[in-house]
Amino acid sequence: MRGADAVIKVLAAHGVTTVFGYPGGAIMPIYDALYGSPVEHLLSRHEQGAAFAAVGYARASGKTGVCFATSGPGATNLITSLADALLDSVPLVAITGQVSSSVIGTDAFQEIDVLGMSLSCTKHSFLVTDINELIPTLYRAFEIAAAGRPGPVLVDIPKDIQLAALEYKTPLQSVNDELPPQASDIDAAVGLIKQAKKPMLYVGGGVGMAGAVAHLRQFIASTGIPSVATLKGLGSIAHGTQGYLGMLGMHGGKGANLAVQECDLLMVVGARFDDRVTGRLDSFASNAKVIHLDIDAAEIGKLRPADVAIAAELSLVLPALTAAVTGQLDIGPWQAEVEVLSRQHQWNYQHPGDLIYAPAMLRSLANKLPENSVVACDVGQHQMWVAQHMWFRRPEDHLSSGGLGTMGFGLPAAIGAQVARPDATVVTVSGDGSFMMNVQELTTIKRRKLPVKILLMDNQKLGMVKQWQQLFFEERYSETDLSDNPNFVLMASAFDIPGRTITRADQVEQALDEMLNSSGPFMLHVSIDDAFNVWPLVPPGASNSEMMDQMEKQT
Amino acid sequence: MMHALEITLQQCPEVLERVLRVTRHRGFKVTQMQMRINDDASMALNIWVEAERAIELLSNQLDKLIDVTHCKVLAATPLNQVAS
Repeated sequence: MRGADAVIKVLAAHGVTTVFGYPGGAIMPIYDALYGSPVEHLLSRHEQGAAFAAVGYARASGKTGVCFATSGPGATNLITSLADALLDSVPLVAITGQVSSSVIGTDAFQEIDVLGMSLSCTKHSFLVTDINELIPTLYRAFEIAAAGRPGPVLVDIPKDIQLAALEYKTPLQSVNDELPPQASDIDAAVGLIKQAKKPMLYVGGGVGMAGAVAHLRQFIASTGIPSVATLKGLGSIAHGTQGYLGMLGMHGGKGANLAVQECDLLMVVGARFDDRVTGRLDSFASNAKVIHLDIDAAEIGKLRPADVAIAAELSLVLPALTAAVTGQLDIGPWQAEVEVLSRQHQWNYQHPGDLIYAPAMLRSLANKLPENSVVACDVGQHQMWVAQHMWFRRPEDHLSSGGLGTMGFGLPAAIGAQVARPDATVVTVSGDGSFMMNVQELTTIKRRKLPVKILLMDNQKLGMVKQWQQLFFEERYSETDLSDNPNFVLMASAFDIPGRTITRADQVEQALDEMLNSSGPFMLHVSIDDAFNVWPLVPPGASNSEMMDQMEKQT
Repeated sequence: MMHALEITLQQCPEVLERVLRVTRHRGFKVTQMQMRINDDASMALNIWVEAERAIELLSNQLDKLIDVTHCKVLAATPLNQVAS
């Protein structure tokens, strides 16, 4: 067997059923091995789209995503998606073809130092230099991608290694023991929780990635501790949970931010004090003691010292805490205070006039979505409206580029999610700026006949940048006007995707139903007014106590 | 502060790049390095770095590198006490 055949066999051995990629010269042996193999390949139309589809696949399913690209430009096109997967801790194995070993380092055609490029945007990376190392390296790549805090792993395979003969042997696999918490750490955390009068849970994406959603919900149900979530933590806490105040941070809810500022104990679960969450760090929950629970020890104390830190499996830590503190808390007055904050700062969806009010539309969409559904967003105003106004049953149902904030994420991520969960209703919510960043992936929808729904909110602006220009750059609207956008519905029709445009609030309900009830793909192009901004907002450099409220005139 | 770190690495061609990239990116300036190859396919690296930041910000990140098998902070010396 050739090295290339072994690559496909290792994928099959890891249960990989679909790979996303794009062929080219230096990866041709692997594509030859793929031909007729049981591993399905979905052709993207840009390697960034392929890797984002793999990210969407991984995030919607919890499995490791796999993508292929050739050397040189194929590999450089993967870089943004790898960086996205690194910052959002997504398990991914990227396999790139490399020029033959004998010409590496000679500036050969389509040669670039992929290993060198990968150092800052992967969890780990390999250049295979020995055919005997190929299979063990690929096994190791899958192990590293999923272990501990997950992340992307790149394996660069020179063409001669792909063509070299080998005998397939399954390597011995090391068993990753789950990291249990120390009893003394649990005792210390329990002590702080019992003392607290105003405890607050700050829940991040680590809970979902650790498979600890049920454990977290049990902890909340048993203790009644109020909670907030980060962008990536949305879906971890069930919608409607008593004391759950939604997202915190720069565009979080005012109730969520004020409650965190007021708490005396912050329990950080699978989160990392990101600057978009904390606002001015030295004033973030400044009266609170901190319990920091995260599998990644490097996050402990990185930005905020912890009074108690436990770097262990959340699925072991949370049940231990639940058992120790249930029935031991006296936080009735705090729960009542949080309830008042929740009521005072409820979202208001009443918006008079004919114009489509995006928050109300997205709330309505969330209420209409069936139980098995995924929403993939792009980046910008629409992304924040989705986070604020939609609700999700599980973290796997909300795909949003959090850490890197990558425009162009939504459409390919939705493609990957639809492949991973063929029976799910998959909706990509995008904006007119982001959508054009990976618009070539409409062809991938056409090719695979995927029923992905596209909700495209169009204000003919790079809305989030425009909002900041309006607020912080004296209304100097530098390069944010997109009034020369294409005719989106006409464009979609060129890819056999039907669609329609709506412009008035009274069209929303029927149009959402039409989109969700269509059996194939559908584009709902929604014209919104560029006067609508994302509110509330913590200005740059300000404390989360100082949120700016809505200031645009009613239209 | 000036900090000394003792690091054990698995031998592979890019491992020094990995360590130095993390060191630079996390805000630490390398002032001295010593490296030797051990007989057992590992490498020993002693590195002195200078930064205002807490050394754990670096040592924790280095510990996360797959090819780093051991990372120990040996000593911290205030800059004004470093012999010139």
